[in-house]
Amino acid sequence: MLNSYELSRGRKFKNWLKNFFTQPANIILVVSLVILGVFTLFPLISLLSDTFKVHIAELMFEELRGSTLNSATGFHWSRMLFSDVSAMYFWKPLGNAVLMSLLSSAIAILYGGVVAFLITRTDIKAKKFLSAIFVFPYIMPSWTLASFWKNFFQNPDIGSGTGGMLYNLLGIKVSEGFVYGLVPSAIVLGLHYAPFAYILIGGILRNMDANLEEAATVLGASRFKIIRRITLPIVMPALLSTFLLVFSSSMSAYAVPQFLGGSSGFTVLTTSMKQFIGYGWYGQGYIMAVFMIIFGLIILGLNQYFTGKRKSFTTVTGKSGQISYIKLKGWKYVLAVILVLLSLFCSVLPLITFALESLCVTPGDYSALTFDFWISKVPVNNNGIHGVFHEPQLWRAFGNSVGLSVCCALIAGTVGILIGYAVSKRRGTALARFVDNLAFLPYLMPSMALGAAFLALGTPLGLNQTFFLLVLVGAVKYLPFASRSGINAMLQLSGEIEEAALLVKVPWWKRMVRIIFPIQKSTFISGYLLPFTSCMRELSLFTLLATGQMTLLTTLLEDWQTWWQQSANALNLIIIVTVLLINFIVNKLTGASIDKGVGG
Amino acid sequence: MKKIKLLSVIIAIVLVISSLFVVLAACDNGPADISEIIEDGQKMTTAELIAKAKEEKGEFNAYGNTSRIAAAMTGFLAKYGEELGLDSSTAHASKQSDSQIYTLLTNEYISSNNSKAASMVMIQDGAQLVLYREQSKILQNYVPSTMKDKVDENDLVPLVHQYINKLFMWNKTGKGADLVVNNVWQVVDDDFMQGRTIYFKSPVNEQVNMNFLIMLTKDEWANKLAAAYKALYNKDIVLDSDCPNAGYQWVKAFVKKASFAINSDTTICEDLNKSDNAGNLGLFVLSKTRDLTTNNLQVAAWKEVENQLVSVNPFAGFMYPMYCQLASNGPRPYTAMLFINYLMEEDGFEPWAEWGAYSTNPDIAIQQGDRELSFWRNTLVIEDASYISNKKASVSDFVSGVIASK
Repeated sequence: MLNSYELSRGRKFKNWLKNFFTQPANIILVVSLVILGVFTLFPLISLLSDTFKVHIAELMFEELRGSTLNSATGFHWSRMLFSDVSAMYFWKPLGNAVLMSLLSSAIAILYGGVVAFLITRTDIKAKKFLSAIFVFPYIMPSWTLASFWKNFFQNPDIGSGTGGMLYNLLGIKVSEGFVYGLVPSAIVLGLHYAPFAYILIGGILRNMDANLEEAATVLGASRFKIIRRITLPIVMPALLSTFLLVFSSSMSAYAVPQFLGGSSGFTVLTTSMKQFIGYGWYGQGYIMAVFMIIFGLIILGLNQYFTGKRKSFTTVTGKSGQISYIKLKGWKYVLAVILVLLSLFCSVLPLITFALESLCVTPGDYSALTFDFWISKVPVNNNGIHGVFHEPQLWRAFGNSVGLSVCCALIAGTVGILIGYAVSKRRGTALARFVDNLAFLPYLMPSMALGAAFLALGTPLGLNQTFFLLVLVGAVKYLPFASRSGINAMLQLSGEIEEAALLVKVPWWKRMVRIIFPIQKSTFISGYLLPFTSCMRELSLFTLLATGQMTLLTTLLEDWQTWWQQSANALNLIIIVTVLLINFIVNKLTGASIDKGVGG
Repeated sequence: MKKIKLLSVIIAIVLVISSLFVVLAACDNGPADISEIIEDGQKMTTAELIAKAKEEKGEFNAYGNTSRIAAAMTGFLAKYGEELGLDSSTAHASKQSDSQIYTLLTNEYISSNNSKAASMVMIQDGAQLVLYREQSKILQNYVPSTMKDKVDENDLVPLVHQYINKLFMWNKTGKGADLVVNNVWQVVDDDFMQGRTIYFKSPVNEQVNMNFLIMLTKDEWANKLAAAYKALYNKDIVLDSDCPNAGYQWVKAFVKKASFAINSDTTICEDLNKSDNAGNLGLFVLSKTRDLTTNNLQVAAWKEVENQLVSVNPFAGFMYPMYCQLASNGPRPYTAMLFINYLMEEDGFEPWAEWGAYSTNPDIAIQQGDRELSFWRNTLVIEDASYISNKKASVSDFVSGVIASK
């Protein structure tokens, strides 16, 4: 009896398994779980194990002298969390980092959200222009915006002792706290990541079925009530996603707080971590990385909790909907002028300064200009660097960067769509939740640590300095953008659309290619652009892997900016213009654009 | 239940695979010992090295904590590339920070496929180098046969390619016209520094700046600083309770006084040169002044007008070495040795040949207007890698504490 019972249980499980794997969504989830699991858990385990190991340079500590290399120790944790130096190296930077990240998230959500609302739901003027230039700060490496901020607000009484643009033009001196330290770091990061809020919130608002609001209007609801009871709940997941993205990004931001640290040095977890890693004290450095991940996970959990509680809002039903714009009357001009000026300040002025700086004979001196750093066929400095148009190093790096970014975007974008499809189809199941979170995990890992982990993974396999390893780490790191895009786009899609095709037995791949992709085409293609853009301006992630023949534009930029600023500014401009150009071409060909990237 | 069971099984498999990768990555199998190859190479002439290098396979890669290694590689390829069958697609030099170089070499050392690994490196952080040379086999020293009798014996192991100096300088225009610095206690004196700023790249971000501060805590320099204090104020120094000697006392005062607002020596040089910064000071690399079209800067160690040397009590700045080392698991050790030979000669030193960089090969002349290496050896604080390695943990805590309290 027992045997036949067991057999029947076994057969039942077998049937269940067979049935389980006949559904494409389940296959995608299981395959994603295995692949993502390996590529995200490996770096995590590796990072964590490093915090308990003795590394060579750590033998400088008296407490570790005489220890065996790679032996286990709890010294790093006790020194970081419970010693005399904990406050200085860990707790204070942690407090600063949290404060900076909260502030930058608030700024990004407020600024990006308001602009998204004004552009998608009101009759404000200059929409196309604003929409196009609002994402510029995200395309620029964050430190370039920080550098611009400093050069603009600097005055002789503070920092570098020289006058910046504002002082030189108008004689205005702002306080040191507005140029260096917590506030400017948060503002610059907020401005840099405001496009996230704009993209995520704007995406939902743009695709929202106007019938919802129209129905409320017909029922006599006030405009405020409509925003509070309909618009805000619908964009709430996007607000939370923006918070998650901006908070995590700001927690792991290094260049901005380092650049705007000021005369005494404003320390956050990343600057502290970089100091320790620079000394070769990896154990203590990676503890900070672990805490950055923990904070990210807490916010990811909160995000899950809040989005899990709400009901699903299907906003794309396949039926057409007219959007009724809020009439701003005379304000549509006033607000447009304010936003255009703000966007010009954050987006266009930095580009003009890079262009001008690339023409200066002496950096910072605009009295003598030359095109040599762009067009010279002979070396323009003692390191043999030619004008950028004739510099072989640059063109090799250009090919590598574009090739790498295209590959990463294609892989991350496609996997993101598949994960989006599978997670939305199996929404609410443990497997879907797990894959959803796993796909987001790489975003929470500091780039530097992820790069080091992939170096450790790739080198024994003979993959170091290969294009493949760079593509792998880039695709994993930027998958969260694409998976968010995919999930959000799919959640907006009514199940009825696919069900109709299912009833007439249209195969899965045909449903994807003929129905789902065409409906959300612009969102999906836009989802490819965000990994592309991020990859083009990424440095920390690739810095250990892009050696030898694999030099990238950003690694070259890091090298040049220390010594050859005019060439570095020209190179920076090339990166930004390339991304803009590709965005423009894709936009013209498909209608997709980076400003429609995440969120549908 | 079934789904949970399946999920658990998959997660367990993934965890096992991930852990296996961690173990695999940590496996230390290491390459064959190349000390015999180096021993042979050290006796070879250039022609013999070329002959051996021709037989080598794989890419020739080099890492350096100096951007100019790329230009040196271009020069090397122009000279030997054709003969060795190397060109810009098979030989490459990358700029990396010291910690990145150590991370890369540690990983490359255990790789069974070394065809793209670095064969040589140029390293700045001597403190870590001391430990890596003691505790691991990833680096090997090589002294070219032509250099062993020329280079100062203290610079042979590990081989120092060049020294680079950072000097006290100030903007000599306006209120800086009459400024004279002849004692380092002046730059931390409240009265002397009234209305003045001294720029210094944060020691937290710049290893060599931290190393300089660590060196000052050594008894030798602490005693000199105590004597300099007495010479300036005509009284003995009184130490704070947290300062074991006069070195710590000066470091504490200097770190409190210095501005870390500018995070690159290039920008410190350019900004300090502007009229806004008249009378302000900086401690940064001398080589940056070479690119200025109008030089408003006065170097503490000399008077430009009278071309007269000025003695700053007890130092006018500091000097740090750049080391050349062979990577143990590089695919082209003979090519690497030939490259080091080239770097130690005049044409190989060309990318660095400017003010503030001094080859350890005495045959390479200094740039016009600069001083000999021997002059700087007696004028500046020079790194002692072993001392720094011993004291780095405690002194960097001390310095970070002072920065945090600013």
